[in-house]
Amino acid sequence: MADVSKNLKVYTTYGPKSAKGTKPAIVAKMIEKAKRPLFVVGSDVLEEKLLACAQTIAKKGIPVAATGHSIKGFIDEEGVDAKYINIHSLGTFLCDPKWDGLDDNGCYDLIILLGHKKYYINQVLSGLKNFSDLKTINIGRHYTQNATMSFGNTTPEVHLEALDELIDNL
Amino acid sequence: MSELKTGTFSVSDLENVQINIGSIVGAIEKTAAEEGEVGPTIKPNISGLRDWDYKLFERYNPVYTPMCDQCCYCTFGTCDLTGNKEGACGINMEGHNAREFMLRVITGASAHSGHGRHLLHHLIDKYGADYPLKVGQTNIIAPNVQMVTGKKPETLGDLEDSLSYVEEQLVQLLACVHMGQEGEAIDFESKAMHGGMLDHVGMEVSDIAQISCLEMPKADEEPPLSEIGMGTIDSEKPVLLVIGHNVAGVTDIIDYMEDNDLTENMELCGLCCTALDMTRYRTEGGDVPKAKVVGTLAKELKMIRSGVPDVIVVDEQCVRADVLREARELMMPVITTNDKIMYGLPDRSEDDVEDIIDDLKSGRDDGALILDFEKLGEVAPRLTKEMSKIRKEKGVVSLPTEEEFNELTSRCVHCLACELECPTNLPISDAMTAAEEGDLRPFEILHDKCVACGRCEQACPKDIPVLNVIEKASQKVIREERGKVRVGRGQISDPEIREEGVNLVMGTTPGIIAMVGCSNYPDGTKDLYRIADEMLRRNYIVLMSGCSAMDLGMYQNDDGETLYEKYPAKFQKGNLINVGSCVSNSHITAAAIKVAAIFAQRNITGNYEEIADYVLNRVGAVGVAWGAYSQKASSIGTGCNRLGIPVILGPHGSKYRRALIGKPYEEDKWKVLDARNGKTMDIPAAPEFLLTTAETIDEMMPMLAKNCIRPSDNNMGRMIKLTHYIELSEKYLGIIPDDWYRFVRSETDLPLARREELLKKLEQEHGWEIDWNKKKIISGPTSKLDVSAQPTNVERLCKEA
Repeated sequence: MADVSKNLKVYTTYGPKSAKGTKPAIVAKMIEKAKRPLFVVGSDVLEEKLLACAQTIAKKGIPVAATGHSIKGFIDEEGVDAKYINIHSLGTFLCDPKWDGLDDNGCYDLIILLGHKKYYINQVLSGLKNFSDLKTINIGRHYTQNATMSFGNTTPEVHLEALDELIDNL
Repeated sequence: MSELKTGTFSVSDLENVQINIGSIVGAIEKTAAEEGEVGPTIKPNISGLRDWDYKLFERYNPVYTPMCDQCCYCTFGTCDLTGNKEGACGINMEGHNAREFMLRVITGASAHSGHGRHLLHHLIDKYGADYPLKVGQTNIIAPNVQMVTGKKPETLGDLEDSLSYVEEQLVQLLACVHMGQEGEAIDFESKAMHGGMLDHVGMEVSDIAQISCLEMPKADEEPPLSEIGMGTIDSEKPVLLVIGHNVAGVTDIIDYMEDNDLTENMELCGLCCTALDMTRYRTEGGDVPKAKVVGTLAKELKMIRSGVPDVIVVDEQCVRADVLREARELMMPVITTNDKIMYGLPDRSEDDVEDIIDDLKSGRDDGALILDFEKLGEVAPRLTKEMSKIRKEKGVVSLPTEEEFNELTSRCVHCLACELECPTNLPISDAMTAAEEGDLRPFEILHDKCVACGRCEQACPKDIPVLNVIEKASQKVIREERGKVRVGRGQISDPEIREEGVNLVMGTTPGIIAMVGCSNYPDGTKDLYRIADEMLRRNYIVLMSGCSAMDLGMYQNDDGETLYEKYPAKFQKGNLINVGSCVSNSHITAAAIKVAAIFAQRNITGNYEEIADYVLNRVGAVGVAWGAYSQKASSIGTGCNRLGIPVILGPHGSKYRRALIGKPYEEDKWKVLDARNGKTMDIPAAPEFLLTTAETIDEMMPMLAKNCIRPSDNNMGRMIKLTHYIELSEKYLGIIPDDWYRFVRSETDLPLARREELLKKLEQEHGWEIDWNKKKIISGPTSKLDVSAQPTNVERLCKEA
């Protein structure tokens, strides 16, 4: 079992509320329970092994918001519902209850994130933490304190192991 | 009684009495009125343009991404504002973050205006208040100054009044930061916009003063090229390094070196905007630059750690706080020359030159504060020669030897603490492993990506000087860092605007891409090259300034050419212009103002709202601050935003805490009025934002094209812009954009080569009616094509209002 919930080291704090360290099996359960989950993938996901994991997660039926230029990794994938959107715009729209989502079917209740630059996604999540009630889980390689839950800091190898475990549990 | 006018008169009955009248209350307004039309906002106060700001915020929502969830401004607190809670004083998270953003903006504006005030004092002292302003072929010497203050300055002395206005307004804005003042986010936002606007006035004052007096290029269409890069510095010669932004004192160094035949025997080089302005000094008419550019702030610590400089002179802005501490280790005396940075050094301004040199070369003092520029001009080069000899004799070296390098890389325990601390989480640990195995390439790649903040060294439990390791490993690539940067040309001339204005407003020149700001690039300097080259090949006008202008010159194509050598430098489609240093950013907004003034014959005097409305609806320009990190970058960007120019930041820009983002799905927000009759017109969502970030260069490419689209585009212009938007999206994202059809008003807006294919898509995917015999759109578009329409957001500008 990949223990990715331990190393929650940060170099600066944002405030009193920080992400809870989490494990792949728990993330899988939360995704299953969610009514409208959204899988948000960033451009760093285009690395070969990470992309394979992301595609597999997407094929489990979770709609994908592809930020940056990550959409390139999902265009010809069968069974993947992916749309491009800028992450800063997405963060803005997610705080707006009037937004109908990427597919016009309403807003989301769980956001799962993978493949973003840590400092960047932490800022976007800061907006969601402070101005929305959304639950957010970062399953990237670095602990992201502004999410509701986050994997801890891991090595690339342990991170891939954790993603495989998440996939197995979905 | 005769009327008083500004100027000088003598009272003949009194001996030696001369009375100078600098300014008269109401005189500006009176003169402006006599000369022609005057707008409603001469020297607007904080609330003067609030209505305009509110119009912008109605469409472009302030979006907050706090850097800290607490407020510690007063002793009521510390207050936890998480979840938009209110603190003890009643301010909530939105309000506090709007205040924080405004504080950044006015800090940046103060830095530029403080720089301007210092320069102006110095230049008036040296050249006199009556010295004429000369900025090139133009009837509008200072577009920002004229638009905001109503004044048309002609002499150095005339600039004092505008700068006083800026200073007074900045004090009023700073007062609003105090606990118990403003309470609503939206009014902090309006105040931030005010600060941004003031910044462009302050920058313009600074730059036109120095352009006029220091024989800098004046709207020159082909200014000379200057050498740039660490590899251009001949370390065998004595090396004098200057860091900062204010060239005032450095000009005395250059003059002394020339007068004493030192130019050939010494290297004078610079970091940051002082370096750019050194290359502008006395190059009017195409003379060879008298100094070399090392690079941006990202090179400061690298250059010092290289051990190459013999003496360092600093002035102001973007100078690392540890220059003295770092230089001390390497026996490099530091001379501070401006009271904004003094490093605790003794003031030697009144002392004898020989005594200063003796104290510094003997090591009795680490450095000196010298505020007398004439003295600085002599001390710095002479000391450099002396220190070069001394440092060579003592064998001062900084970077590790081969043996030490091997020991340092093997000392690494791969705990990843450095990577966590690194602002960009660079893969330092893997590079250490590769180096141990003899492969230096990963470190060479890091050298370009690393901004040399040094935080990795602070984090390392094994005390490895990580930056030194990176630099040692990268000696080969550093030696090859030899580029060319175009010397800053200053303003865009009136004839150029006259020629190009129509193309910009109609859209047949697809847009202006202004790449400004600092060097905190997430993926190194090549990014800038990629952006500029792509957009230049597509006939956009690319304007550069400051650190971006420098870094663009660092990258060469396969033919060994920089883009400055590849593209011409007129204000014309497909041309690449460097306007100059940080304060030259005012010439970018000035160009947009001049399009309104010269092409559209709009009155700009005291007429901010109308001109900003014109720019927002008709001038397809987008700013890019890909590596922005300074407060000045936030004020420059915000000044562009108030004038209707959208700006895209790199991912680090999210740390400014606030963006201005529109919601395309809110259809009622995307409407303008037709000034001919006051009727409402639907427009597509472009510009879609005023300030946002992009995750990668690839993502930004189509964003640039899309956000140059304006309601005023004629069909040819819209077709060109839409072609670029679709092509760039396909090239960099691999998809045709979801919203491309929203920009289509008639079949003539469609890219010519793909008209049939796209008409089919409109019919099949969006349900539009097409007449296939005539290949015309019958129904579907939400916005209509009317080339005579006069789009505006300001009701009073409508004829039937």
